[in-house]
Amino acid sequence: MKNRLRILRAERDWSQADLAARLEVSRQSVNAIETGKFDPSLPLAFKLAKLFATNIEAIFSDES
Amino acid sequence: MICSTKNPAQRRYFRRFFVTMLLYTLFLVTAVLVFVHHHPTGPLAWLLALLPALAIIGQIAAFGLYLAEEKDEFQVAIGVQSMLWGIGGTLSVTVVWGFLEGFVHLRHLDLILVYPLYCILSGTAFGLLQLRYK
Repeated sequence: MKNRLRILRAERDWSQADLAARLEVSRQSVNAIETGKFDPSLPLAFKLAKLFATNIEAIFSDES
Repeated sequence: MICSTKNPAQRRYFRRFFVTMLLYTLFLVTAVLVFVHHHPTGPLAWLLALLPALAIIGQIAAFGLYLAEEKDEFQVAIGVQSMLWGIGGTLSVTVVWGFLEGFVHLRHLDLILVYPLYCILSGTAFGLLQLRYK
């Protein structure tokens, strides 16, 4: 899945560590999601959407 | 789990891991000393022989508990993947060794070495996965 996490983070001037702390996951997890190496579960995707005050589709999109 | 900042589930896992390792060492040394000096038989011999194995089972259970308690789903995925590499690698090595032992009389592989083999393989896989997702 493609995602806009890096952009959304940059807009808020958050580092990967900042986002990880807000999500209560490791920085490594944020990096893996951001680089598309790991697709988050639905609960984590909802948590991300809530954190960025948007919906899941605005963060993640199908690569195809 | 290699990361310097560990979450509560990882800290609990390491605590349990070290306790089981300590018990394993204690039980193994006790069993060896008693067997060498007193040659026990019957139920006592069985008990002494099983104690180090129970500590190893405790170690396996500790990892299972870690996977159940870990809140970070990515860390769970890494843990499960490294475990699968360890299991797959151990099964592959032992089945190949078994056939070689049966047909070309390769040296007998002691079953006691299976768990350390699993630890080496899953530990290596864990390290490589950590590097991949660094």
